[in-house]
Amino acid sequence: MNFEFDPYRVLGVSLGAQPEDIKKAYRNLARRLHPDTNQNNPGASIQFKDVTTAYELLIDPDRRRAYDDQTRRRKTDDEMYFTLRVTPIARRLTALPEPQVTYLLAELFPDPRATETETKRESRLNLTLVLDHSNSMAGTRLEKLKIAAHQLVDQMSQTDILSVVIFNDRAEVIIPATYVKDKPALKAKISMMVAAGGTEIYHGLSKGVEQNRTYLGPRLVNHVILLTDGHTFGDQERCLELAQTAAKEGISISALGLGHDWNDQFLDSIASKTGGTSEFINSPSGIVRFLNDHVKNLANGFAERVRLSVATDPDVQLELAFRIAPNPQPLEQENGYIALGSLQANRSIAVLLQFQLPGEMQPGYRSVARLLAVGDVLQNRNQTMQEVSDIELQVSSEANHDEPPSVILEALSKLTLYRLQERAQEAVEAGDVHEATRRLENLATRLLALGQEELAGQALSEARRVAHTRDLSDKGRKTLKYQTRHLLLSSSTGDSSE
Amino acid sequence: MKLCPNCGTLNREGMFFCEECGQDLREGNATLSTKEFEERPSDLASRATWGTASFGKQQSVIVHIRDVAEPIKLPIADRTIVGRADETSVRQPDFDLTPHGALEKGVSRIHAAIERSDDTLTLVDMGSSNGTYLNGQRLLPDQPRVLRDGDEIRFGKLVAHIYFK
Repeated sequence: MNFEFDPYRVLGVSLGAQPEDIKKAYRNLARRLHPDTNQNNPGASIQFKDVTTAYELLIDPDRRRAYDDQTRRRKTDDEMYFTLRVTPIARRLTALPEPQVTYLLAELFPDPRATETETKRESRLNLTLVLDHSNSMAGTRLEKLKIAAHQLVDQMSQTDILSVVIFNDRAEVIIPATYVKDKPALKAKISMMVAAGGTEIYHGLSKGVEQNRTYLGPRLVNHVILLTDGHTFGDQERCLELAQTAAKEGISISALGLGHDWNDQFLDSIASKTGGTSEFINSPSGIVRFLNDHVKNLANGFAERVRLSVATDPDVQLELAFRIAPNPQPLEQENGYIALGSLQANRSIAVLLQFQLPGEMQPGYRSVARLLAVGDVLQNRNQTMQEVSDIELQVSSEANHDEPPSVILEALSKLTLYRLQERAQEAVEAGDVHEATRRLENLATRLLALGQEELAGQALSEARRVAHTRDLSDKGRKTLKYQTRHLLLSSSTGDSSE
Repeated sequence: MKLCPNCGTLNREGMFFCEECGQDLREGNATLSTKEFEERPSDLASRATWGTASFGKQQSVIVHIRDVAEPIKLPIADRTIVGRADETSVRQPDFDLTPHGALEKGVSRIHAAIERSDDTLTLVDMGSSNGTYLNGQRLLPDQPRVLRDGDEIRFGKLVAHIYFK
């Protein structure tokens, strides 16, 4: 028997729980999570399966004994844990006839022992670079890219694995997955890149994922970095499907867009599906800095393939999930899970969730959602671990005047700006010039109030542009999107050690 | 529902920032501040207020300048330039603030304009040196904002309240 999860934790019962307690806990959870009452709620069906498996295991005395014996043998003192902490914006809600919105901040913390010197260990990387060498990369961009890749090779250790795929209209594996031993030879291969041809991402990405699979392993950080400066045509759907498969296999993908001529929604989606990061790199010199930082963080991994499932109660809806820290990113739910990527040893992950609650809630305590975090702790022998948090809030007939936690409020105020930008783009896409201009002007006003004068000016000039051309400039669209997202960094709750 | 005091959008209960314009929705709600405004118009500095935006053909604007005892009745043309008269300038303002300390308070010669459209008034900053503020928020030059009854306008450091009558 090899169970990847802790049935006691999943059911929320103690190690010595009697069969009646187990039955009762199961019945309560099953009622809330049952697929019949949660048709549009993939998070609930995932958790329902887990809960049922856990119940079937614990209710059978033989299987339960076998499980207990096995875990007793397996448990050692140096097993590490991560913790899940959920903070609601308000613990007390006011009963209202109409629907209302509420927010939760979900934070994942690495084991505090992970940064202690005697246990500290760099995680090993299985890294694949998928690099665009189309015509438009010619000149400084390609030169800087080579410098960045060289530095990366220098930074990696002999136990790390690297593969490099370059692509234009077709793709070529210039470094098949290999241990980083002969650094000069690897660097020489990178130096031979020449700019030519167009941009077709799928070929490059699929070869890259293929290379990454060669050494794909649970004790490694399996990561693909895609760098492009152009639009890809006709193969976006296939790329997204590939990203989805990769995520299931435990490979995360980060996507970097260089310059202004690439599809931000597409790259965002690839990253969000796999728990990676998407970034806008404005100047060629940014490549070097970004790649270095990014890989340094990867090497600091504590847990990989971290994901969150949110099972809302049947009458509650999850409206928005956004990673606040370490890298601000809108999140997508895929097969019931929200991929969060890697949890680093020195930084926590923070996710802001927005829910809509129904009208006519009865006063008293009520459950809102059940959050489940799963991840593979790299240095544990039995890697996969789970944390569950059941969210209960009080509904009262009196108005609530409690001061909301300032971390959430701060994050929310910045997120509002990102959302304004998003809504302005939606209006542009819908062809509503009037609405788009108004939203961009509102965004400019808010940015100015925050002291973000340059960005405010950008928003304003885009507002004028929309009024005349009915569209945003490529540069403006990306600057507004990624800079408003970056505003969240200053308020991030995740940097515990920096 | 929560009414945004800045743009009038109805936001769902539990929202902390207006979905439409980003306004912090906790700073006093709409109905309350209207009441306060009637009682103590002088305290309105930097607080969002809520009054009617509709401005009828027969109405006129009353301007209360801070520290000036007498309210001023302002005749409204299609476009009323507010500023500081200066003999050397080619263009002269329609509403001259010189008698109310315009020079010391940093009012530009051509500071702002109040424009009348069908049934509303808008305020536009004309690229003034020290800025025009509507209810504590600085206006971006050449971006018109709708004026409402009871609004506080600041030209540089000169504070005024306007009422529709």
